[in-house]
Amino acid sequence: MSILECKGLSKNYGSVTALDHVDLTIEPGRIVGLLGPNGSGKTTLLKLANGLLTPTAGELRIDGLLPGKETHGMVSYLPERTCISTWMTVSQLLDFYGDFYPDFRRDVAVEMLKRLNISDSQRIRQMSKGTREKVQLIMVMSRAAKLYLLDEPIGGVDPATRDYILSTIIGNYNPDAAVVISTHLIADVEKVLDDVIFINQGRVVLQSSVDAIREEKGMSVDALFREVFRC
Amino acid sequence: MLGKLLKHEFRATGRIMGPLYLVMLALALCANVSARVLDASRSRLLNVLGGLVIAMFVIAIIGTCVMALVLMINRFRTNLMSDEGYVMFTLPVSVHQLVWSKIIVSTVWFAATFLAVGVSGLLASFRLAYVDDFISRIGELFQQITAYYAINGAAFLAEALVLAFVGCAALCLLFYASMSVGHSFANHKTLLSVVCFFAFQFATQMVGTLGILGLGDIHFVWRFSNMAAIHTAMAASIVSALVYGAIFYVVTVLMLKKHLNLE
Repeated sequence: MSILECKGLSKNYGSVTALDHVDLTIEPGRIVGLLGPNGSGKTTLLKLANGLLTPTAGELRIDGLLPGKETHGMVSYLPERTCISTWMTVSQLLDFYGDFYPDFRRDVAVEMLKRLNISDSQRIRQMSKGTREKVQLIMVMSRAAKLYLLDEPIGGVDPATRDYILSTIIGNYNPDAAVVISTHLIADVEKVLDDVIFINQGRVVLQSSVDAIREEKGMSVDALFREVFRC
Repeated sequence: MLGKLLKHEFRATGRIMGPLYLVMLALALCANVSARVLDASRSRLLNVLGGLVIAMFVIAIIGTCVMALVLMINRFRTNLMSDEGYVMFTLPVSVHQLVWSKIIVSTVWFAATFLAVGVSGLLASFRLAYVDDFISRIGELFQQITAYYAINGAAFLAEALVLAFVGCAALCLLFYASMSVGHSFANHKTLLSVVCFFAFQFATQMVGTLGILGLGDIHFVWRFSNMAAIHTAMAASIVSALVYGAIFYVVTVLMLKKHLNLE
């Protein structure tokens, strides 16, 4: 069974159409790039998958279920912005994730935090913006979830941090799970992707494996993206 | 999961309310000492200092009460309506549990503030004899009520406590409903939350006034003893607060489920 399935999924914000009859499926064990220019509907799709928005039409299912508290237990979501409570200490943040998510691997999180020299007693508000982003990513990737939804995990960070983020994702995700990485920075993520979904103006314009693109089109995902989305 | 939400909610709010209570209680002790100094001393400097300490104690009481209200509003806004909402609304909990955790914790802090103000008032009392006198008079009053009205004194106290709890919860829900409607708009979320608050207030006052006027037009003959009339009035107040709270609860949950619009 697909871990994520959309059928005729549409979302309008007033008169603006953010998603227009999207049909797609994502299988377990795949790392999928959700690729599209800014404003193409990537964040809207991920918000719908997390139940943060309600579809205007169609439906989206996670492991056969509509988004809700049952699916929240299966999905590990990294929002576009840093959302962890800044008054908490690292230790309190670990307690928080450990209390709500039975699949949270505290030992894995502690190990990754140690590598970044972040102590348990440090408050989130005392950290730089980049460190907060890393801490949030560590919390998300320390879960043994069925589906990871990562919204722009490498947007707005320096190349060294991009490498750290990608290695954290690849090194820590549950291999039986699907990982969806939404981004427009194709060149950086291409090396880790199994499949890609191109999305533009709320419509899926391509869903394919990376290998198929290279074999059939004879070009990289980045080159194909530039061709498809040429202004 | 509600228990875990409550645990983290108390952790988030206790770090603010706890120190405030400690400051208030410390100032209450200082006010007590100041009152004794004021009584005994003829030094102008000591009198001024003593007066300042008592003024600070009064400000601390007002500040703690205001903070309990501000915290109730701000916690809902920052934890559910802004960036933290991305974490909270993706937890494996229902919207009902999220809203109830906020209501319960805010109501507990209102009750704790009431108790802390009472205790600090007793601490600040000039002489311990005043405290003894106050407690014994309250006891006498309660005994007289119970003796005169049999069980009704305790029943009235229980009704007053239930009314206080339901009233606090309904007050929280009025603010929560206003914020959840105001934040469903794309822009001017705070301004629209304030507009919604006044609109809800106006609507409830209109409905309440019309209801009272309507009751006046019904030509029933009400035959109640004094105590029965008090119990009936208390029961009617509790039911009104429950209905009032239930309407805002439905509005809040509906908006958070169907029209959540995080920035």
